Amino acid sequence: MPVLRIFRLIFILIAVMAGPARADDAALRTMLNGLANADGFAAIEKIVGDIAATGDPKAERALGALSSGDLYVRKADKTVLIGKSKTGGYVLSDPLTGDVAGEAKRSEVEKIKVNNTLRRVVREALGGLTLASVDPRARLNAAETIFKSGDPHAIPTLDAAIARETDPAVKERLMEARASATLKAQAPVAETTAALETIAGRGDREALSLLKSYEAGAQGELKDAAGAAIAKIEQTLALWAAGQNVWYGISLGSVLLLAAVGLAITFGVMGVINMAHGEMVMIGAYTTFVVQDLIRQYSPDLFDWSLPIALPLAFLVSAGVGLIIERGIIRFLYGRPLETLLATWGVSLVLQQTVRSLFGPTNREVGNPSWMSGAFQLGELTITWNRLWIVVFALIVFALLLYVLNRTALGLQMRAVTQNRRMASSMGIRTPWIDAMTFALGSGIAGIAGVALSQIDNVSPDLGQGYIIDSFMVVVFGGVGNLWGTLVGAFTLGVLNKFLEPYAGAVLGKIAVLILIILFIQKRPRGLFALKGRAVEA
Amino acid sequence: MITRFLAGGLERRINILLAILVAAAVLVPVLHLAVPASSPLHMPTYVVALVGKYLTYALLALALDLVWGFCGILSLGHAAFFALGGYAMGMYLMRQIGARSVYGNPDLPDFMVFLNWKELPWFWHGFDHFWFAMLMVMAVPGLLAFVFGWFAFRSRITGVYLSIITQALTYALMLAFFRNNMGFGGNNGLTDFKDILGFNIQADATRSALFAASALALALGVLVTSALVRSKYGKLLIAARDAESRMRFLGYRPENIKLFAFTLSAVMAGIAGALYVPQVGIINPGEFAPANSIEVVVWTAVGGRGTIIGPIIGALLVNGGKSWFTGALPELWLFALGALFIATTLFLPKGIVGAWEEWWKQRRERDGRAPMMSARNPIESPAE
Amino acid sequence: MRGMTASFTKSLAAVAIAAGLAWPSLAQAQEDTIKIGILHSLSGTMAISETTLKDAMLMLIDEQNKKGGVLGRKLEAVVVDPASNWPLFAEKARDLISKDKVAAVFGCWTSVSRKSVLPVFEELDNILFYPVQYEGEESQRNVFYTGAAPNQQAIPAVDYLMSEEGGSVKRWVLAGTDYVYPQTTNKILEAYLKSKGVAAEDIMINYTPFGHSDWQTIVTDIKNFGSAGKKTAVVSTINGDANVPFYKELANQGIKAEDIPVIAFSVGEEELAGLDTAPLVGHLAAWNYFQSVDTDANAEFIEKWRAFTKNDKRVTNDPMEAHYIGFNMWVKAVEKAGTTEPDKVIDAMIGVSVPNLSGGYSAMMPNHHITKPVLIGEIQEDGQFETVWQTPGLVPGDEWSDYLPDSKELIADWRAPMSCGNFNVATGKCGGKGVN
Repeated sequence: MPVLRIFRLIFILIAVMAGPARADDAALRTMLNGLANADGFAAIEKIVGDIAATGDPKAERALGALSSGDLYVRKADKTVLIGKSKTGGYVLSDPLTGDVAGEAKRSEVEKIKVNNTLRRVVREALGGLTLASVDPRARLNAAETIFKSGDPHAIPTLDAAIARETDPAVKERLMEARASATLKAQAPVAETTAALETIAGRGDREALSLLKSYEAGAQGELKDAAGAAIAKIEQTLALWAAGQNVWYGISLGSVLLLAAVGLAITFGVMGVINMAHGEMVMIGAYTTFVVQDLIRQYSPDLFDWSLPIALPLAFLVSAGVGLIIERGIIRFLYGRPLETLLATWGVSLVLQQTVRSLFGPTNREVGNPSWMSGAFQLGELTITWNRLWIVVFALIVFALLLYVLNRTALGLQMRAVTQNRRMASSMGIRTPWIDAMTFALGSGIAGIAGVALSQIDNVSPDLGQGYIIDSFMVVVFGGVGNLWGTLVGAFTLGVLNKFLEPYAGAVLGKIAVLILIILFIQKRPRGLFALKGRAVEA
Repeated sequence: MITRFLAGGLERRINILLAILVAAAVLVPVLHLAVPASSPLHMPTYVVALVGKYLTYALLALALDLVWGFCGILSLGHAAFFALGGYAMGMYLMRQIGARSVYGNPDLPDFMVFLNWKELPWFWHGFDHFWFAMLMVMAVPGLLAFVFGWFAFRSRITGVYLSIITQALTYALMLAFFRNNMGFGGNNGLTDFKDILGFNIQADATRSALFAASALALALGVLVTSALVRSKYGKLLIAARDAESRMRFLGYRPENIKLFAFTLSAVMAGIAGALYVPQVGIINPGEFAPANSIEVVVWTAVGGRGTIIGPIIGALLVNGGKSWFTGALPELWLFALGALFIATTLFLPKGIVGAWEEWWKQRRERDGRAPMMSARNPIESPAE
Repeated sequence: MRGMTASFTKSLAAVAIAAGLAWPSLAQAQEDTIKIGILHSLSGTMAISETTLKDAMLMLIDEQNKKGGVLGRKLEAVVVDPASNWPLFAEKARDLISKDKVAAVFGCWTSVSRKSVLPVFEELDNILFYPVQYEGEESQRNVFYTGAAPNQQAIPAVDYLMSEEGGSVKRWVLAGTDYVYPQTTNKILEAYLKSKGVAAEDIMINYTPFGHSDWQTIVTDIKNFGSAGKKTAVVSTINGDANVPFYKELANQGIKAEDIPVIAFSVGEEELAGLDTAPLVGHLAAWNYFQSVDTDANAEFIEKWRAFTKNDKRVTNDPMEAHYIGFNMWVKAVEKAGTTEPDKVIDAMIGVSVPNLSGGYSAMMPNHHITKPVLIGEIQEDGQFETVWQTPGLVPGDEWSDYLPDSKELIADWRAPMSCGNFNVATGKCGGKGVN
């Protein structure tokens, strides 16, 4: 039983802090080496319990390695060591001191298997071991672990830790952990009520989870108190849930914006029904894959820089392909928008099959750099870094595009050519060159969208297919030829979708959005932000 | 004079096509059923099934040609009408299975049994009867097209916008039919059919009959379309395509004309779908995929839109090519199809039939026999 | 009509041309080879999964030819591309059987593709080997199901999670893509869990469309569902493509396997190859084979596979093993029957037993399903699975689930004299459940 074990551990922990009687390294080592003969997860679990019971902080390294699957048995002498893999084998190190202990071939060592249950046991054991750590973050984690397990035997240790604690944030967590332990300890009513209040004050999902399981077993007054606390938390959480939906909507909107903004140029500005747009996105994603692959091979340290490196390359590659398509095919089709649809659909098939032949039909792995992994809490909102960066990135791309179109010579010429080709030509603008540049710009933007989308979606030859219809919906809904329309359209559809999803489910939500778009177009046949003036009828 | 000559030319072409279709409807069953299998003239089952399928595709392409070639409405959702017709037929065929299903439940199709449904949903009632199913084959796509078109054309949605929202329509329908809770079999769709009007669906005679029905339906479609476009109404259609505003100023209501064509076209597509399903033995939501609708556009463009005969040639050629490539050179199929799209739009903007007409015209001009071309061919492809 | 008679001769010629488009390429099957059809999509949405199986079959046929073929004749693979289009599956199956005269077909992935070709195999009496785990509720004379039935994957997986070793899970999220396999599997699991005393409010069922890519809301829902004070697990029947964004979201929202483990039935080594698995360590999958299985047969198979594909990083997966078993069974049955004639081979198949890659033997049962071990694996950092639990013996595939009210009385037995795919033990008749 983990409860008992932690109790024992804490006992010894106090003993350890009280006197110099440290558990002998040799004893710890013997226990560790016992893992070499442990048969099955239950046996390993027992040894972990014994090790944790020594309360020796030196075991932290070994347990951590066990949990992450880095602990190995050297077959020759049946010793347990930490192994870090390298080509063809492992670099071994001592599980207690971390000193290097030679190398081993793959066949010379055997991994100590772990499963989820064992990992949880190790985590709890480590929680006990690190309550007195010097690192405040480790103490915080230890407090959280005890909060979740709610071990009543931990109360004396927690009291000691609370008295000692100087960091207010950690202290608060410790108090909460103590409250959690109090709930399980069958304490007097007054004390339990106070504990309930402390936990309710925390107001998050963990607290709710704890209170619910407490309420199920409680009776009378205390059950009511728990019920009241649950109701209070649920009320707060409902508000946060609305906020969460808005955030998810913005995040989905930013994905739609990224996917559509290139199309807003090729389709919106140039009038080319570019069915190969999705494939430009896909090419950008594959460029990211190639960049990451090269980095993994030649310079793994640069991995966190892989996306900044991939961005310009993806832009260039996609823009290059776009340029070839424009020069080779589309320039013969200006003024026949519906035929560009057919030709670009053909192009998209060819590009898909080319990528399939080059990279294979299966998904390719594109990793998240460390700064795009994980999440942080904003109140009760869990905001994942990759989504946040994509929102920021989408807005930057949008701003840059606005700048290019409105503030540069190229942008001026582009607008001139779309508004009145012949007059622009008479003014000395090389319209074919501008056409090519515009199409390349739209394609290049799609390419850098691919870099971002590779972070959240499959990188496979079908990547682009998944976005093409949504992109067209966004551009048409926002109003063809208007970048702001695309922005507003993308975020409106994103938020709408995310508010419908909890009620209608993902599929019906999407269908509802499509029907709303169809109805909306009836009302405003030229989208949200229609271009005014004669150009419309052309 | 000129128009009569061209009209005569048109008629001759249509007549040849009709003759071929009627002859096929008679000859293929004979070759399939009466000629012994050892004879080189024997038509094997898989050819009958395959060509029968192509003919339903051709009817679908013809339906699209009516709205796109003659009326300028590029529908990217025509496969939706085709699939709806197919589902109506599929529902009839499902009801015919009765107690021969794997669970042996005479009241419920298999997929409802394993989803634990207790009774037939209301919209399945009536599909036990062939006449009702046939009515629905035409009514459901027709009604959808009518309602959709009524809104869209009155709002004067044209060109690209119309294309995109027809695509949204078929996409939404695809998502809806994928849902198992809709009661149409979800992703698996409707399958495992046993018989139609009491005849075993796998029997050679039934296949021949379905082939003949497809050929005759296509012939009928050709007849109706060509009669329509040569009537006064056909001129209005083309007017709505080429100069909608001018037509409106002259006091006509282009939206009504378009609506009629769109609805008729959807009904034709529905019939094509209904003939398609018993021949391939399955209907599922994949038929609603936007890519399918785009492929139909390609068949029509390859053959030559606005020519009646062109879409039929296009559908047969492209699908024949697809069958051949996916069997012989599977890796190259998408390259070939993609290249075909590109080449058609670049080099054959009027399709095969259009190109052939041009070549014929040039030859006649060279021979000095051609009269001065002053009037436009009423059904020539638009220049846009 | 004026031109009618005049053009009749022309029309005859044209019919011949139209028909000629698809006329058989009269090339007769070469007498000295046995043809094997491979019916896997090489383009379209399913290419991502099925192309690998095509390559695996080519390798197996190649290997067999090196051993001298079958019955003294070489094997010849006929590869076609049904392009992820279900009616095209039926068309291609018909082509393979009637035109190419194949002796057996290995193919299909999705249930709908199998359903689409079933009538063709029945009509033309040929053999289909279907290698993918599926929802069961079917047994057809012409089909051999070498993938897992629900009782060979889903039920042991749930048993494991309910056990103390698996974490004593009390609350369940059944998340799947909205199609027949997840729907049926979840129906079975729901009935099974309730029979084990799980309350209805402790089961959450969620369906998403194919290729769903925005998982933010659903992952949050799972997290919320898991915070009710009971140990929670997710049983995922999410289909291939949607898995990568699902796991990415899971990892980023910090759902750890120790807290809320996700056990998947459709995620194998191929799917993980597109993912960074470091944040996913500990999430589970239930299969009948893992690439990491430590046997000599498996090591040899992997080595041959990598040599064949000329890629030393290519992974193997469960459906490949299913083809490996199915193909070897077919070879053995043909040798037993002394002919490749499908009718005889079908009868000879039952009872054939061949080694599988996980160190045992798999046998073909009278219901056309096979016996397999069930393995539960945890995802490792290197994108492989590590087996953490295994059924003590082989589990025979159960085509008609005992947990669905309409199928628990049905069995299949293709041996004479029963020869029935839906025999009702209650009424003693072949032909399903009949009227309630």
